Amino acid sequence: MISNSNLVKNTTHKAVIPFYAYAALSFLVATILLVLSSKAFGAHYFQPPILAVTHTMALGWGTMMILGASHQLFPVLIEGKLFSNLLAYLSFALTGSGIPLLVYAFYTFNMNCPAQCGALLINLGIFCFLVNITASLISSKKRNVHAFFALAATLWLFTATIVGFLLVLNFTRPILAKDSLHYLSLHAHLGIGGWFLLMIIGVGTRLIPMFLISKYTRPAILWTIFVLINMALAGFILIFLYAAKRYLFAIPVAAIFTAVGLFAFYCYQAYQKRIRKQTDNQIRISLLSILMMGVPTVLLAVITILLVISQADARLITAYGFSIFFGWITAIIFGMTFKTLPFIVWNKVYHHRAGLGKTPSPKDLHNAKIFNLMSIAYLSGFILFVSGILINYSLLLEVSAFALLLAAALYNWNVYRVIFHTPTK
Amino acid sequence: MNVVTNNEDKCNLALIALKDVLDPEVGLNVVDLGLIYSLNFNEDKNYIFVIMTLTTQFCPMGESIRDNVKQTLEELFKGYNVDIDVVFDPPWSMELISEEGRQFLDR
Repeated sequence: MISNSNLVKNTTHKAVIPFYAYAALSFLVATILLVLSSKAFGAHYFQPPILAVTHTMALGWGTMMILGASHQLFPVLIEGKLFSNLLAYLSFALTGSGIPLLVYAFYTFNMNCPAQCGALLINLGIFCFLVNITASLISSKKRNVHAFFALAATLWLFTATIVGFLLVLNFTRPILAKDSLHYLSLHAHLGIGGWFLLMIIGVGTRLIPMFLISKYTRPAILWTIFVLINMALAGFILIFLYAAKRYLFAIPVAAIFTAVGLFAFYCYQAYQKRIRKQTDNQIRISLLSILMMGVPTVLLAVITILLVISQADARLITAYGFSIFFGWITAIIFGMTFKTLPFIVWNKVYHHRAGLGKTPSPKDLHNAKIFNLMSIAYLSGFILFVSGILINYSLLLEVSAFALLLAAALYNWNVYRVIFHTPTK
Repeated sequence: MNVVTNNEDKCNLALIALKDVLDPEVGLNVVDLGLIYSLNFNEDKNYIFVIMTLTTQFCPMGESIRDNVKQTLEELFKGYNVDIDVVFDPPWSMELISEEGRQFLDR
């Protein structure tokens, strides 16, 4: 007899692994698009190829990966179970079919059916996810700060995709007071600050101490971060819509600066108080991603100051966006993929063999050498590409885009190696 | 390592066998990690009662570790039923790690 009451029930791998597989391919597609259009990154950011790459990264890579991981991790955060597997499958099918349509529409700048149908499908998919997360939280026995981070992040994501849908419609029939370009920063920051920042901090402050085997926990700091980010976003929307004074943007930027600083402090404390002294490369790159948050944060501060004084350089804004999607978000996904996916696959393949002989360790399911090569290609590609944007040097952009493509290919090789792992005899 | 038991000899045998059950994330066995709280034997009914914990309630490998403990004990004590209760009160803490475990983690 076994008492199950205190153990967290894992979500079926069928509701999780497709998201990982989709996200990996999206990253490969994004880097291929980057290679094909690297020169465009030296100019203004509002260009079809840049919009296509950005949405492949934001939706296909970052969002699909987080949606998949959330189906696995959210039950863990609420100590309950996922409300519905069907909603998870629907979320995958709808969002996954909408993204290619939207990306194709941006690449060819066809804002009619492909863009509108794609945006609608994505909204339906995100709505399914929102319902699933909310219903799971309502039916759970415990609600902690991490779960509220995830719920708030999902609400912001849905808001961002609704605004995105309106912007797409606004291209062909004017339904908003101004053109779509005017609202681009609003749409982008709802997604970046509301979805990615809240979700990554909420889940990261649970996972990083767990993987470091650290008992450090300070809910008060996390609640402070939660309030700061949400207040910053609400303030940003109000200032954007109702106040013409650019200097007021310094207030939400300062709040985000403080929140990111507190998050870094939290992770540093968890690292200092870890029980296991050795850290593996997946954890190292995850911790590096926290440092990499400093790049867009500093760029955001510089852009805000320049906006108050006169006008911000478009290349600074492109570098800011690039450092978010290809820097911070990609680095944390690299680290966390190989800390979560091998365990999910291991549970699928070897769970029934528990105690019945030797099985490989979950971490042995991926190839560590390929991971290290990927990390080198990625970090060099990222640093060079950001430099290429800032100094507008085409050759540097082209070479570094190839390095990022190599990183994506190696990442895919390792991810699919884990997904298609067959049991050892 | 202070495992509560009503049968020292059988408990020691069980703990030796359970040193093969690893927490896959930490790479250390459940005994040296201090996850086993008590091992009690009912000889009349051929039952083994285990109270154990995990390093974190959020452990995605929790079920697997628990099942591994159960299979290992059933393999060692043929004919016994193993009853496992996973508890988080008292919570696991690093003070529960054995000296060998600490040396392993400090490497």
